[in-house]
Amino acid sequence: MWESVVNGQQLHFHLAGINNQNFIMRDEETGSWWQQVSGEAILGPLKGQKLRSVFHDEVTFGLWKKEQQQGRVLKPDPTVPAKSYPPANWDERMSQVPVNIAQNLDKTLPPRTLVVGITVGTASKAYPFETLVKQSPIIDDVSGVPIVLMVGRDGKSVRGFQRILEGRKLEFFAKKDSQELVLLDAETGSEWDFTGKAISGPLAGRQLKTVPVLKDYWFDWKNYHPTTFVYEL
Amino acid sequence: MNLISASPENSKSTRRLVWTALLVTIVIGLAVVVIPIWIIQPFKPQSQRGLEVSYALRRISPYLTIIASLGVVMLTAWLWRGSRWFLKVILVILALPLFAATWMARQNHFEWMFKPHANLAYAPAHEAAYVDDGDVVLAVQNHGEAVAYPVRLMAYHHLVQDVVGGTPIVATY
Repeated sequence: MWESVVNGQQLHFHLAGINNQNFIMRDEETGSWWQQVSGEAILGPLKGQKLRSVFHDEVTFGLWKKEQQQGRVLKPDPTVPAKSYPPANWDERMSQVPVNIAQNLDKTLPPRTLVVGITVGTASKAYPFETLVKQSPIIDDVSGVPIVLMVGRDGKSVRGFQRILEGRKLEFFAKKDSQELVLLDAETGSEWDFTGKAISGPLAGRQLKTVPVLKDYWFDWKNYHPTTFVYEL
Repeated sequence: MNLISASPENSKSTRRLVWTALLVTIVIGLAVVVIPIWIIQPFKPQSQRGLEVSYALRRISPYLTIIASLGVVMLTAWLWRGSRWFLKVILVILALPLFAATWMARQNHFEWMFKPHANLAYAPAHEAAYVDDGDVVLAVQNHGEAVAYPVRLMAYHHLVQDVVGGTPIVATY
């Protein structure tokens, strides 16, 4: 998700092609080609420019609806036949599609493994989605920044936070038997909800800083983050 | 006179030359359209060089195909008189793919496969019954405004432009 204004100019984008299974968009104003996953202009007058990224989540509608009761939801286009829209488990179905790209495939993980990727400073790290679902929350340090990644009880919603508050590192674990995912920090025993906010205990009301996460296939993540680390148990 | 006696020979070699020019023009006009389509196929790998070539051809093909079409019309008109009927048929058959390519150079076939969302509209969160609770959405929040883009819709349209909390954005998937 990107800001669509570059150098003060509002750009209007179109789907314009595909580059090794990640789509290219073209802007009407300059005709430049942009890579979707990196937000970078790869060809044309704006080559080398980067779109500013907009923080966003991938969460279930059920969870989002509870958090954002005043929110609005994109409607389908009535001129598009309903069957043209793919089923909701599109990314799982796509995992059956072979990967045929120009770059060498990295063997660390099978290419279509769904990973949750984060970039902190100059370092990137990928967490296999299945591992994350099993271990949620995962606490980790990426290039010296302590982070926590978690998947909601719906098994789909993903969020990441810096687990540090005024220089104090927090260790998190999941509260047992709670209907929604609730985290407890080992330091104060405060309870934290899925928005990264402490809802009870000594730290109640405090908010963790978000970390942008991207759900992607391993081959694509590795392609655009060649020096990425991979989370291992 | 000399000129008249030489004329049939000249005319024959000139006609051959015009035919050659016609064929070359058609091949160039087709190539500038077909090559980028060939390179940028969804499930094929693309090299950096291939993308550069595709980009350059996509930029020039709208102009180049028009010039080629005009050239072919003129060359065909020149060849038309004095051609037997079957040659006229061949002239027409040869020109048609170029006219098709001229039209194609103005199309975006990726937007045939995945049409842009032509009727952008939004439902309040509690009214969006067309999304299941278990479906994943791309969620963005800015200056107090929250918007959800269902992944099912985004996996088809791939990009949607919007203004959220005053910031113009392009949601992509």
